[in-house]
Amino acid sequence: MKETKTVSEPQAGTIPRSNLRNDQRTSDAAVVITHEDIDRAHDRERVSATRARRGFRPRLRLFWLLIGPGILVMLGENDGPSMLSYAATGARFGIGFFVPFIVLTFAMACVVQEMTVRLGAATHRGHAELIFDRFGPFWGWFSMVDLMVGNFLTLVTEFIAIRAGLGFFGVQPAVAVIGALLVLSVALMTHRYWTWERIILAAAIFNLVFVPVALLTHPHWGAVGRALVTWRPLPGGLTQETVLLLLADIGATVTPWMLFFQQSAIADKGLTTHDIRFGRVDTVLGAALATAAALATMLATTPLFTHHMSAANFEAAEFAQALQPFIGHWGAALFALGIFEAGMVAAITISTSSAYAFGEVARRPHSLNLPFRQGRSFYLVLLVEAIAAAGLVLIPGIPLVYIVLLVNVIAVLAMPPALLFLYMLVNDREIMGKLVSPLWANVLALGVVILLIGAGLLFGISVIAPNALAFVGGR
Amino acid sequence: MEKQFDSEPAVEVSREELTAVMTALEPDQLISTKEHHHCPRRNLTRAEMILFWALRIYLVFMVGVVVYQIWTGVR
Repeated sequence: MKETKTVSEPQAGTIPRSNLRNDQRTSDAAVVITHEDIDRAHDRERVSATRARRGFRPRLRLFWLLIGPGILVMLGENDGPSMLSYAATGARFGIGFFVPFIVLTFAMACVVQEMTVRLGAATHRGHAELIFDRFGPFWGWFSMVDLMVGNFLTLVTEFIAIRAGLGFFGVQPAVAVIGALLVLSVALMTHRYWTWERIILAAAIFNLVFVPVALLTHPHWGAVGRALVTWRPLPGGLTQETVLLLLADIGATVTPWMLFFQQSAIADKGLTTHDIRFGRVDTVLGAALATAAALATMLATTPLFTHHMSAANFEAAEFAQALQPFIGHWGAALFALGIFEAGMVAAITISTSSAYAFGEVARRPHSLNLPFRQGRSFYLVLLVEAIAAAGLVLIPGIPLVYIVLLVNVIAVLAMPPALLFLYMLVNDREIMGKLVSPLWANVLALGVVILLIGAGLLFGISVIAPNALAFVGGR
Repeated sequence: MEKQFDSEPAVEVSREELTAVMTALEPDQLISTKEHHHCPRRNLTRAEMILFWALRIYLVFMVGVVVYQIWTGVR
């Protein structure tokens, strides 16, 4: 039996109480049911039914139903420029300081992303929407433009990675880029958040392809263990190159788009305060998988360091070619495939974060549950940004190396202002209620901000006054 | 007047779907609620405003440093 599309609000008490403390709805307000509501409700029904059952298997199924945004954001951030940064780090510094440093950067990412889990589950709103509402249109548009510019630059590098990864197999750049755009479009055709999430999750797990590649190089596990404990050695000490890679590796794990994406994805998935624990597990699991892939990439390129091969001019899959004598053709092919996958998954997640943010700030419908006709602006922003970035990669003579270099560094520099918004929102009792950050979370978040600003300033010193860097480094 | 979301209502809603929406979703998860009820704006204190602008200036300055590095790198 079919009902009218607009229904009166049910009696108080028949629906769960809102988490949002400022949700002051009038009792005579009408509830308009949208396609998006229905899809989300079906997903939530499955979660409720599974939660009501006891035992190990239902818990496992609940875990399966609730994971997604955390793993996607962490593996999504293991993108083209990130894998290039890790590869360059391994080739330039070998096993040493950067092994524990990469683990630290993912721990930082966990601290930051956990805040977005709480914020998204408590408010059911995206990050851009909350900034817009709480701090006004000026800061709302400002942060969205920041995000859009950063995302566009990052997207360009993703298509560079896609082009380079498939280039190893002899695929023409235009074919690689157009093929990637088609994959991105096909994933969107599901018009269903759940299906989209599962498809991208399956693709993202392929990021772990760097693990067998690393094993093929027979890493010195004793040296890895020693480096994890001692944070040494750091060949060459603190130089301009070290600082650049330091910043690039931070930018490979902690970036503004991750805040916007995970919070919006949590709202789109429909997670509530009851799901925060699983949201945290999802985030930590994602970070663990991403750390494994990042360290594997670094370990995979250490033979280049051991054999004193300069990595200065390597781009993306050129690492695969350079590694071929050490890991064979199949190992090199896996490395190139990993670079392609890193670019492909990130292109999808990053363009989605832009579309979410645009919809939230421009007050347009924004959900992966929307049919194209209803979410036209959402899908168009997503596709237009991806097409523009892909087009740029195909222009002959564009200095792609510099764009790659720029992206991770800019991500680190843009992070402190973005984190300030997050910090203020997650400590805002009016929207978070009892879920405001505890002291320990605030201390950790402050530590991350100080580390990011410190790294940025160190980079500034290394560029403006390289001699002063020797003084800072004690040399 | 502040622009609202313009989500279209579902063309047809079955009784099951209606029940699902009303029981499975929290009130502020509904699109119509989000459209009509935004988080109220908060006033920034002077210290917060200074911090916002300081970080903005930091960002602009550091982007300038990156551009300078690329320029010197190209040369």
